[in-house]
Formats: sequence, structure tokens, C-alpha cells
Amino acid sequence: MNTRLLIFGLNVLVISLILVVYGVVVGDNGLVGVAVSIGLVGGVLVVYSTTPQDPSIMALTSYSDILVNAVTSALEDLDLLESSICTVRRTDATLLVYSKTPCPIEVDPGLGFTSGSPYLAIPVKTPSEVIESTSESAITLLERNLVTILVDEYSACRSVRVEEEGGFIRVYITGLVETLKQYCERPLDPYVLLVLSSASRILGARCIRLVDKKNMPDGLLLILGVERVGEKT
Amino acid sequence: MLNELERKLSVLILVYTTLVAVSSMSLYLLSEKRIDTYVSLNILAYYVSYAVIRPSYTTKSARYLNIVLFAIFAIIVSFRVYEVLTS
Repeated sequence: MNTRLLIFGLNVLVISLILVVYGVVVGDNGLVGVAVSIGLVGGVLVVYSTTPQDPSIMALTSYSDILVNAVTSALEDLDLLESSICTVRRTDATLLVYSKTPCPIEVDPGLGFTSGSPYLAIPVKTPSEVIESTSESAITLLERNLVTILVDEYSACRSVRVEEEGGFIRVYITGLVETLKQYCERPLDPYVLLVLSSASRILGARCIRLVDKKNMPDGLLLILGVERVGEKT
Repeated sequence: MLNELERKLSVLILVYTTLVAVSSMSLYLLSEKRIDTYVSLNILAYYVSYAVIRPSYTTKSARYLNIVLFAIFAIIVSFRVYEVLTS
């Protein structure tokens, strides 16, 4: 929240209120009109003051840069820059796994080896509570949750659409926010991370892998493959 | 250093307030007495600035504001159309 803008907006509202009262008292409708107009400006300023733009965003961006660089270096050392990304669901945690083996199930947090190839597993947390609904399909539920998380809560993009096609889940993310867009080309992409962790929890699949990631003119297209227990797609 | 998000928001507010100042001042100098004219021009100024600047980042409250302003604008226009039709 921008406190300075909020205080300024409230001041403008108070001034407009005083002007409205004065305009009504002297019977000047033009002045009342101007005052109401100023009041609207005050209202708009108050609403826009809720946009999170504290200096903490700058600090978080800098912190994220450091973390992304650290993960990238680790992946580079493990020769996993061209690896596949998936989320593995365990009873106690969800892991984001970078490995050349598609969907390695037996992994532990941190660095390790599975089927003779290295992996990096990072424990991740689903950003918010899942909205449970028995009447909706899993895909609709996933779309609703992603809209709640990415659009309503984080304002990370303008819209999210989820479709199921040929056994794959296609997630269209449009209107990416500039602050996060810079990480889309990096191995630790926040959109991929949030979509995979949400999908893992909502679909209840043991492993969800990122099959493909395409840059669209207005956003991103993520194609996910779901692997349930004892079943592969 | 201002980030992209802050810059766009600042430009939006600057353009909007400038348009409102110009339109309100002009209407007052033209001795316009109808309050709804001031309000509708203000809302129009908001939408013009919003469409031109197009902030990529909008909160839930900003989206509600857009809906409320559009509703007010629609009511004002409908009322004016109704007045013309019944006069």
C-alpha cells in the first residue's frame, strides 16, 4: 500500500466535501460539480493507493535475482540447465524437481542422484488455500485457483485460461507483469513454479511435469503432463 | 529508481488529474451548472487515461472501481437519453 497516496487521496476527498457544502450553501451548482469531480479524483487516488508498490518490491526483486542466480549456478554445475521440470507430490511436501529423468518419483529435497543422473529438488509451498468444490471438474477448479492466485492475489498477470487437450493440460497466461517477466527466460520461472505447485495440489497427481513452455505475443503457454500413481500420460 | 509498475501508475494519475483539471475548469468557465456533466466528463477522463496508459498491474479494488465508474457513467447517459426521448 502507498500510504502517501492514500493520505493525499483522503485529503482531496475532505477538501471536495468542504467545497460541496460551500457550493450548496451559496447555491453554486457549477462549484458543486467541480467539487464532486475533485472528490472522484480523491476516490480514484485512494483506490490506487492499495496497489503494492512499496520499496519492498525493489528489495524483493534484488533478493529474487540473487536466488535465481544461485539456483542457475547450481543447475549449471549439475548440467541441468536443459533438464525437465516437474513437481513431485509427497505426503509431507511438494518438490520442484530439475532432472534429466522425466518425473523421478524417489527424490529427496536438495541435490541427489536418481537413475544415475543428478537432480535438484526444491520444496515448494502452494501459495494459498485450494477452493474445494465437488461439482466442478479438476481443470475448472485449477483454472479458478490459478485466477485467484495469479490474477486476484498476486496481480502477476491479466488472465489465466486452462484447457485439457490430448491428455495434456494447456495453461495460457496473458498480460504478464513487467517485474516478473524478466524471470521467464531463467530456469526458476515464477509462473512455472506457481502453476506447477498449484496443479500438483489441485489435481492430486503424484508427478506433474512441464512438457513445453512457449512464449506467446501476449504471454506464456505452459503445457503440463500429469502422471498419476502407476499411470503415465 | 522507480520500477515499471510505479512509473505507469504515476503517469496514469498525472494524465487523469490533468484531464480532470482541464475539463472541470473549462466547464466551470462556460458556466455549466449540471453536476452530472462534471461527473461524466471526469469518468471519461479516467477511462481515456486508463486506455492510453494501460497499467499491466491492477488490484481487485481497482477492477471494482472500473465497474462502479462504468455503472455511474451508464446511469448518467441513460438518464440523459431518457430525458431526450420523453421531452
